[in-house]
Amino acid sequence: MKDAPFALDKLSPQVRMALGITGVALVAGVAIIVFGIKPTYQRVKTLTAEVAQLGVKHATMKTDITGTQKQRAATEAAEAALKDILDEGVIEPLLGSFSMRGKSLLDPLAEEAGFTIVNIREDRLIPLQVPNPPPQQLYARQLVELTGYGAYTQIVAFVQAAEQTFPLAVVSGLRIEHQMPTPERHKATITFEWPVKGEKRK
Amino acid sequence: MNDASLHLNLLQDDERFSSSPIRLRVMVPLLAVLGVVGLGVWWFLLSAHIGHVTHEKTTLETYCAELKPAHDQVLALRAREKEARAAFSQLDFYRAARIRFGDALAHLPQHVPASIQLTELRVPTPPPLPPQDPALKVKPLGPTNLAEAVTMRIAGRVSSSTASEAVRSLLEALRQPVFSNLICKAEIPKGTFRQDAARGPAVREHILFEISCGCSERRFE
Repeated sequence: MKDAPFALDKLSPQVRMALGITGVALVAGVAIIVFGIKPTYQRVKTLTAEVAQLGVKHATMKTDITGTQKQRAATEAAEAALKDILDEGVIEPLLGSFSMRGKSLLDPLAEEAGFTIVNIREDRLIPLQVPNPPPQQLYARQLVELTGYGAYTQIVAFVQAAEQTFPLAVVSGLRIEHQMPTPERHKATITFEWPVKGEKRK
Repeated sequence: MNDASLHLNLLQDDERFSSSPIRLRVMVPLLAVLGVVGLGVWWFLLSAHIGHVTHEKTTLETYCAELKPAHDQVLALRAREKEARAAFSQLDFYRAARIRFGDALAHLPQHVPASIQLTELRVPTPPPLPPQDPALKVKPLGPTNLAEAVTMRIAGRVSSSTASEAVRSLLEALRQPVFSNLICKAEIPKGTFRQDAARGPAVREHILFEISCGCSERRFE
């Protein structure tokens, strides 16, 4: 039987040793790359990215903290502006009743104008248009309908007084009907609306 | 003379040497081992770098943790400002959409001719909101219409023989600048200027009329 051209036993011991060392070195090199360098490199990459992210976060935090006083002033200004508009006439229910709140606000004005309120009732709540970004606390329009009697001038004086006293009160509905038996005294159904607190977003 | 050459091979295979001073059987394993050593050094350096980066990360985490309370305070302030601004904007929409009736109504009697008796003045309340589209995945938080139309209807009767002039005079008065901050247009709807037939022959001279006014729309923006 003819021997293979590169049969190991035909090679000299030095060549065999050289091949052995080279083979072992190749296997060791591949093992180092696959099980050592590659995962370590990935870990370094991940850690470097995390450190960069933390660096940015740290710098942002420092910048933010430096501007605390400025931010506090801006927040206080915004809250003061909101408080002003809330004080201007955003109403809250009186013991759970917007009609009673309306009555408590409007009765003195009606009395002064000579307009007699005979009935007052809570009407619809209409959600207000929402800005972008929307607030957590939404606001709505609360309609309060009141019925009463008076001369045209008294009715109008009452409406004018309400509009002047409560800058955010708006007449959103009005019906003045003449009464056959009392031509100088009309029946008026006036619907006022006020901004009120609505739903709170989750 | 015999030209036949004689070739004697006295070397064994393992005694053969290349003319090159670099021996492949030495250099290849040497380079392979050096390569492995190089890879080992690279691995070692990477491992050392991990230690350094991990330390850096820990340090930064510590710094961030130290700054967190102060930063949370800033974030809370920022959130409060955002909420206040958003709530203010929403209420400002309402404020911008206010409409005033008092002054215009106060001026009205001065412009009503003596022969006219107003029987009704009506401003309808805002129409109900349209039902929400159930197909919408995200429910809108509020109405999407920015404007709301406001109308006013004035009804009355006129008892003179010059009824048309009296009603026309009132209509023209409603178009005057004194009402322009409330009333944008005023017109008599077709068929509303008519004889009062319902109340019998005694009041046959009475003419009924209606004036429909389009008021400034309320813009919530």
